[in-house]
Amino acid sequence: MATQLLLPTIDSFSRFAECGYNRARRFAPMASDIDLENLMVRYQQGDLAAANSLIQGMSPRLHRFFVVQFSSREHADDLLQEVWLRIHKARHTYRPGEPVLPWLYAIARNIRVDHYRKSARTTGQEQPLDETPEAETITTAEIERIPELDVLLAPLPKSQREVITMLKVEGMSLEEVARATSSSIGSVKQKAHRGYEKLRERLTMLGLGKGKVGELQ
Amino acid sequence: MDEILKHGARTQERVSPELLDRIAASVGPSLEPVRPLPPPWAIEVALVAIATAIALAGAAKAGFDGFLGLSVSYRVIIFCGLAVLIFLAASEWVSENIPGRRRRFTAGAAVAVTIAGMLAVFGILFRDYHTTRFLHAGVACLGFGLLHAIPAAFLGWLVLRRGFAVNAVTAGLVGGALAGLAGVTMLELHCPNFQALHILIWHTAVVPVSAAVGALLAWMRDESPIPNRPT
Repeated sequence: MATQLLLPTIDSFSRFAECGYNRARRFAPMASDIDLENLMVRYQQGDLAAANSLIQGMSPRLHRFFVVQFSSREHADDLLQEVWLRIHKARHTYRPGEPVLPWLYAIARNIRVDHYRKSARTTGQEQPLDETPEAETITTAEIERIPELDVLLAPLPKSQREVITMLKVEGMSLEEVARATSSSIGSVKQKAHRGYEKLRERLTMLGLGKGKVGELQ
Repeated sequence: MDEILKHGARTQERVSPELLDRIAASVGPSLEPVRPLPPPWAIEVALVAIATAIALAGAAKAGFDGFLGLSVSYRVIIFCGLAVLIFLAASEWVSENIPGRRRRFTAGAAVAVTIAGMLAVFGILFRDYHTTRFLHAGVACLGFGLLHAIPAAFLGWLVLRRGFAVNAVTAGLVGGALAGLAGVTMLELHCPNFQALHILIWHTAVVPVSAAVGALLAWMRDESPIPNRPT
């Protein structure tokens, strides 16, 4: 039953990735975007309440971004502190009227890349950013707690994981993800499409694909 | 899959209140009003002006022999082409220094387009394939062009020092390319050697060499343990 629901949505994502997701949002910011912009402008003006609101509001999202990237809450805690320090130092680079999320996530990515580089230096075992992690066995028990996004997305290369997190979890538009990742919309679509293909293959491999619907129930 | 991810998105991420308090406490004491960066177009204009001024100043000192030796149509094609490339590089350098800014190209593509554009223009216009003192004259031009790239890069860095490069190496690459274009423009104004290979190889080489030096310096700065982020 659940798989019957899953596969059409994978297909619909593939189609949506090809034709352009959330295109309207490129031109019509949502109320929450405007709130974020207002908070950001007030933060630049030295408003402590706005800074606290931003920290309270955005930290869970940034934390989830790091958890999904690293599958480690300890790392995510450290990186969250670091990203806010860097956001604070670079807050003057936000341009009022521009979308806030791409700006925030571009800085979060910068922290993530720095972290990879530092850990590679420390351990002496450098891993390319796009390396596909070893396939982890997702058990039925894990499937049942699927809201743990880090488990769900762990098999994907980091760049695809990042794009899918921003698009589908954070609800950012293709344009915003392209800005945050310093890449083109076409590249974002391609990564999202490939990521979904991999997830689909993985589900099928685990016996959750077509013809094995019953095993999920 | 869509539903699963949406469900995951709806699940509130757990961040300990103590951590949030620590973050707020670390930000609070230094919370002062800051002046946002000027509009990107203003920074781009400043960078274009710097590159142009350096090229003109260099040629004014060394002589406008190259410019005077070209026909009017050649002058229009070469200098309009260089102006477009300088504007493109300036725009990309600004984008590299503002997080979350819309990108036309990747940094590597911008540098490749710049080099390909110069090769195309020079290759079409200059057809004298004789070579005279190829190495000696070429190295002199390369050195002279790079000499003018240094102040262009330094002044550009001053203009952009309040920016935040999310990728220092690519920012250095594009900045170096822009500085190199200032050097090439100076060479086109000054150098009276119109032999095709001299221009195609030695004049054009200023841009990739300057871009590579920019990327290398940015990488070294990025790798250094001294904090280098804007405050």
